[in-house]
Amino acid sequence: MRKVLTSVLVLLVSALALKAQNVSDLIISEVLAQPDSTGILDDYGRRSGWVELYNKSTGTVNFGGCYLTDDRSALRKSPIPKSDLRTKLGPRQTVLLYCSGNGHDGTFYAGFTLAPGKTVYLVSNDGRTIIDSLQIPAGLPVGKSVIKLAEDIRQQNFETVHEPATPSPAIVNGDQNAATKGERMKERDPHGWILTVVSVSVVFCALAILWFLFWLLFDRSAKKKAKEGTSLSKTKGKRTVTLGESEESAVAAAIALALDMEQGGDRYAAIAAAVHLYLSESVHDVEPGIVTIRRAESEWNNKSLIFRKLPR
Amino acid sequence: MEHIFESLSQFWEYTGFANCSWQNLVMIAIGLVFITLAIVKEWEPMLLVPIGFGMIVGNIPMFPGLNIGVYEDGSVLNILYQGVKQGWYPPLIFLGIGAMTDFSALISQPRLILIGAAAQMGIFGAYLLALLMGFAPNEAGAIGIIGGADGPTAIFLSSKLAPDLMGAIAVSAYSYMALVPVIQKPIMLLLTTKKERLIHMPTPRVVSKKEKIIFPIVGFLITAFIVPSGLPLLGMLFFGNLLKESGVTKRLANTASGPLIDVVTTLIGLTVGASTQADKFISVKSILIFGLGLLSFVIATTSGVLFVKLMNLFIANPAKKINPLIGNAGVSAVPDSARVSEVVGREIDPTNHLLMHAMGPNVAGVIGSAVAAGILLSFLG
Repeated sequence: MRKVLTSVLVLLVSALALKAQNVSDLIISEVLAQPDSTGILDDYGRRSGWVELYNKSTGTVNFGGCYLTDDRSALRKSPIPKSDLRTKLGPRQTVLLYCSGNGHDGTFYAGFTLAPGKTVYLVSNDGRTIIDSLQIPAGLPVGKSVIKLAEDIRQQNFETVHEPATPSPAIVNGDQNAATKGERMKERDPHGWILTVVSVSVVFCALAILWFLFWLLFDRSAKKKAKEGTSLSKTKGKRTVTLGESEESAVAAAIALALDMEQGGDRYAAIAAAVHLYLSESVHDVEPGIVTIRRAESEWNNKSLIFRKLPR
Repeated sequence: MEHIFESLSQFWEYTGFANCSWQNLVMIAIGLVFITLAIVKEWEPMLLVPIGFGMIVGNIPMFPGLNIGVYEDGSVLNILYQGVKQGWYPPLIFLGIGAMTDFSALISQPRLILIGAAAQMGIFGAYLLALLMGFAPNEAGAIGIIGGADGPTAIFLSSKLAPDLMGAIAVSAYSYMALVPVIQKPIMLLLTTKKERLIHMPTPRVVSKKEKIIFPIVGFLITAFIVPSGLPLLGMLFFGNLLKESGVTKRLANTASGPLIDVVTTLIGLTVGASTQADKFISVKSILIFGLGLLSFVIATTSGVLFVKLMNLFIANPAKKINPLIGNAGVSAVPDSARVSEVVGREIDPTNHLLMHAMGPNVAGVIGSAVAAGILLSFLG
């Protein structure tokens, strides 16, 4: 039963992980229907309309096997080849698909042309699910494109911009003028005081919450118990040791002394010294600093018993 | 005969002598100083020996294009350097640190956590000063993290915020960590009175196994929810600690705290050192970074000590007062700054053992600096 539950859990996690990087993270971010004389040339030296896809996720998405169409009743109109390694689109990256009217021109070419008033659809590799669409306004001037821009800081929700835009093929929309976080911070907080005050407060809050929780959960109750004189009994082999407040102090003092001696030395020697100091009841303020650990012989480590006899 | 001379002449062009510049020699000399300090004075030998030797490796003058330099794509050193550049090494080191660290001192006296937070003022003090000196905000943030006194955190953050300054920042952070006893002691003595230094703190209580297991889980959840950008460091730190404290994953904990951290420390030290190639390292910016790094350590120590004095104002019971000599330990150079507390404390009273108390703020400083790095990354990254 436990194995079944574990397997289900693993499958669930795997499914979630897969979902995080699938084709549903793609959007049609920009469409140019009618290029002007300054428009970008395709690999054949032609100027044709194009569709820009954008991967809004933070993982790589393979759009091979998906479809592009301008006809809702024919969703599999222009398939994108599955076997091309170049169909892997990196996180927050764009790719251009030319609508040359001939899908056989190559991987990045669609078998239809674009015109104002049409709608472009990106269809999933199942051939049925429409991932995203973008309508080209009927009055879109020649040489202008229609774009989508992110609405939120996470760049997950996009909205179509109604004004015609200057084409920005294969460049993330709105990225040309985007300032880095550092630049924005320099404008907003040139002397750094805001960041300092906020950051110090957050560091204090994080650690203060930790302090409060542990004080509440453990420290307070432990001290209460100690006050009530509760003693803790432990059995060590055949010998029973009762740890009360004074004994705890002895253990702590032994550890402190041992760590002190350990400075620059060996960790295990320190632990052994701490145990030795405690068990021999020799915890004092001033220690000679010499601990001799005598090896106890047994059948397991007695050399005369475990060594192979040499042939004579 | 002519061919022989031509070949010899060509060979000469490839030698270090033909390509040597005074900057290379300066960096090699600095590398040798690091190695000497590590071996003779035993200052952070685990770090200074690899960094020092890495400096020598990175500054051997060579003919460019042989695909052997640390900045040449595909070279062995370049592949090893990716761990620094992409930030893989620091979280792995944090995994090892977590598997080594005993948070008992912190759990037994939770109030000491706040000292670890106060000492992070060094980071933000250096950030303000760096901005004042004309550094860009992302560069200032990367420089400021030197004040966290945490090498892996400094490398992690600078690789994200200011990769060009990473070499100088990493070397500065590790150098000052090695110099913690020299930097902190005079500040501690200056800011405390004899009476304060004589404060004996109550013996910490014994911490149960249950508390030790719960601490990394609760600690991680709280800090990661507040600063998710610190996830790589905080996640690995607390995960490593859970491996240690759970008691059922001893082999994993032993690997993380032993062979794994040793391998990564060796590689990180060597490659950080090798990344300090003279042409990229010797600049006015590097000198300013070293100056700011020192100031950040001074500010961090001062903040820690003064914060303890402030806390003492609110503690009515004299038996519960905190010795301000443990304030410096909020700087997360584990365990060096805690040892400084112990040594300075014993100089005035040989019976006053502060080591166990100082370990509390010391490990809190590790958490604090990772949280601070996460905040800087979310604002400036």
